Amino acid sequence: MAMLEISHVSKFFGGLAANADVSFDVEAGSIMGLIGPNGAGKTTLFNCITGYYPPSKGEVVFDGRRMNGLQPDRVCKLGMVRTWQKVRPLAKLSVVDNVMVGALARTSSLRKAREMAMEQLKVVRMEHRAGFLAGGLPIGERKKLEVARALATGPKLLLLDEVMGGLNPAESEEIIQLILDIKARGLTQMVIEHDMKAIMRISDRIVVLTSGEKLTEGTPQEVVSNQDVIDAYLGESHA
Amino acid sequence: MMKTLPRAAAFLVIVGGLLALPRYVDNPYALHMMILLFLSISQGESWNILGGYTGQHSVGHAAYFGVGAYTTMMLLQAKGIAPWFGVWAGVAAVIVVALVIGSICFRLRGPYFVLASIAVAEIMRLSAINLTGLTNGAEGILVTDLPPFKIGERVVTDFMTKVPFYYLGLALALLTLLVTWGIERSKLGYYFQAIREDQDAAHSLGIPIARYKNIGLVISAVLTALAGSFYGIYVGFVDPPTVLGLDLSVQIMLIAIIGGMGTLYGPVLGSLVLVPLSEALRSNLITDLLVKSGLVSADSRTGQFLKENLAHAHVLLYGILVVLVILFMPEGIMGFVKKLASRRRKEAV
Amino acid sequence: MAVFLQSLISGILIGGVYALIGIGLTLIFGVMRVINFGHGDILMVGMYLTYILFTFAGIDPFVSVLISFPLMFLFGGFLQKVFINRVLNAVAQNQILLTIGLGLIMSNTVMLIFTSDYKIITTSYSSSTIQVGGGVSVSWPLLVSFLITAVITAVLYWFLLKTDTGQAIRATAQDREAAQLMGINVKRMSIIAFGLGSALAGTAGALISPTYYIFPQVGSVFTLKAFVITVLGGMGSVVGATLGGVLIGITESMSAAYISSGWKDVVVFVLFLLVLLLKPSGLMGKSRT
Repeated sequence: MAMLEISHVSKFFGGLAANADVSFDVEAGSIMGLIGPNGAGKTTLFNCITGYYPPSKGEVVFDGRRMNGLQPDRVCKLGMVRTWQKVRPLAKLSVVDNVMVGALARTSSLRKAREMAMEQLKVVRMEHRAGFLAGGLPIGERKKLEVARALATGPKLLLLDEVMGGLNPAESEEIIQLILDIKARGLTQMVIEHDMKAIMRISDRIVVLTSGEKLTEGTPQEVVSNQDVIDAYLGESHA
Repeated sequence: MMKTLPRAAAFLVIVGGLLALPRYVDNPYALHMMILLFLSISQGESWNILGGYTGQHSVGHAAYFGVGAYTTMMLLQAKGIAPWFGVWAGVAAVIVVALVIGSICFRLRGPYFVLASIAVAEIMRLSAINLTGLTNGAEGILVTDLPPFKIGERVVTDFMTKVPFYYLGLALALLTLLVTWGIERSKLGYYFQAIREDQDAAHSLGIPIARYKNIGLVISAVLTALAGSFYGIYVGFVDPPTVLGLDLSVQIMLIAIIGGMGTLYGPVLGSLVLVPLSEALRSNLITDLLVKSGLVSADSRTGQFLKENLAHAHVLLYGILVVLVILFMPEGIMGFVKKLASRRRKEAV
Repeated sequence: MAVFLQSLISGILIGGVYALIGIGLTLIFGVMRVINFGHGDILMVGMYLTYILFTFAGIDPFVSVLISFPLMFLFGGFLQKVFINRVLNAVAQNQILLTIGLGLIMSNTVMLIFTSDYKIITTSYSSSTIQVGGGVSVSWPLLVSFLITAVITAVLYWFLLKTDTGQAIRATAQDREAAQLMGINVKRMSIIAFGLGSALAGTAGALISPTYYIFPQVGSVFTLKAFVITVLGGMGSVVGATLGGVLIGITESMSAAYISSGWKDVVVFVLFLLVLLLKPSGLMGKSRT
């Protein structure tokens, strides 16, 4: 059984379909890449999966449990957590406090939460920033803070929304290593990314969305050689 | 860790001083000022839990203050129920009101909570005016005698001087500070602040935001109701505009904003600024000072004008203070001081 | 039946003035996303302006609209330029607090000048009525104020729909950033919107001054009504505010007739909470997530 089963998910805003009949499975321990041109409905799909919008149609089954209609906090408690394309640090809290908020999903003890938070900060190599205000961090560290905070909630499935967006090559490389480290620890991940080279390197499988629909799905090699995908991307760059 | 010990020591010294104060000061006006200060601290700290820490800016806290005050006073006047029992009925009533408001407003985002909080306070005020059978309407409720407070057969106090009110007010102020201190050091505090900083992010991290906002609201409302009950029995009189008016809601909010929202001692600082200032205006202290200093002659038109009008001007002063604070130190006095300190530290490095 | 008709007519007439107040607030909110908590106090300033013009220059309250409209426009533009403009990017609570503070300054400055005594403007027609048959009568000043309101609303619609500036204001309200990219001077539009909003509130103040008590604290009642009207109509919607104003007018006069005048405001606020509970986007608002 797959860790996440998305079957026939559609999301309408007014008359517009942001997602139309999207289905795919994410296997436990794998990395699923999610790509597509701007406005293809990638973030909307994340929002449907994690409880920010109820899907208009279709079903999201996580770890054998139907998730439709659950609020984001329940989704998180059940083991699925997401990061944000536009980072959302808790600006007036320190870095370690940010991560503690995540850890408090698993414990009520501040002492334990602090230990867990420091552990996650080590994972993203930010323990030296623990006391800094989150609002004052540079973008690269804000992205890593998002990941650490999400990891602190103890997820089985991590959804990363353009976690390399706006980073320089060195920073991106660091994130790629981080994603691979997380995979090595046995976590399942679903990654939205624009950087094609990166997504090809990390993903086990890739789903391509265009205008809300699933265009194709396959291994990175299958996807890059798919004529529809080439058209869709060339189409985008010509537009 | 290094800072905790001297801070705790300073806190204990101040509390010890305040406990001993009535032994050395028996001037009723001085005690009255201290009681007003305690009341203001309790109001500000209570609002701060919801407004400062949780980021839900209620402009209707008069509702909780007034319901607490009215319930206690109504039970005392109509049924002769002693306030230390009546207050719990007030607390229960306030919990119900808070949960109704919370369940309506906390599903919504943006300015709706602020608007609804005002609407609920206005409903309470208008109800107090109209339910004359219960509340005596616009005339208000006057209670001059409090029953003596006994434990067993022993009379602890008969409330004839200001001293018992002084200790009651001090206890209330300390209670609100203690509750806030406890929240800061618990999961609640972290969750409240996460909601304040970013609701969506907080939600994604496993925080049931509506539930925690309601928890913040109930704690804040209950403490405000206690302050309201205390006000009622201290002043001995409540009427709709003074305990349920929009002006009161704004004043309560101001205490925390001027001092610094979301900080433990912000409302204390705010009270230390606001209470003496408005008392000085009310009692014409400022006019007297201006006259004495020779800046304004008492008989001149300006002098006359100031004498007649400055006493009513404390609300104008509130307005000017809000505008100045928002434009020039939006983090309040606490934030301003912190910024100065960090600038100095940077210069030192 | 007569009671019903009478309440309906008075409700619609006073609702016209409410619509002006609501449109003013919703314009400001639409363009700047700022909720003006001093809106009622601006209306109060308009009332005192009318009072001054009437008492010291003998100008009829309805005629004085010609003077108070432009004056209040300038006043609003000044408030925007000097104060509101500085908090446009600040968090919502700071905007709210700033306008509360400005409102307090307005009401208490007026109190220092005029004391808190109630003032009234007594005109020859203040209490004159027209019998329309069936035991129903219409208050003459209310009727005139309603007609003036209708004219102003019509001109305002024309302005917003047909003129370049009006369209620029609507574009700014729809998407501030996009409007800026398209070369619209967003700052100027904000000043105009706040000016217009204040002028409408001030005019509403002038129009009700022959039938209302004038006192420094009168504003807070109208601030609250303006909120109810705009939320009911859908925040930012001018058509919604027009409808909302009339609806609130009718609700008030009906509940005054059938329940009691003491409870009429409570009915309005309860209605407000119900709207928040059942349809928070308002009558004309798009539902937002």
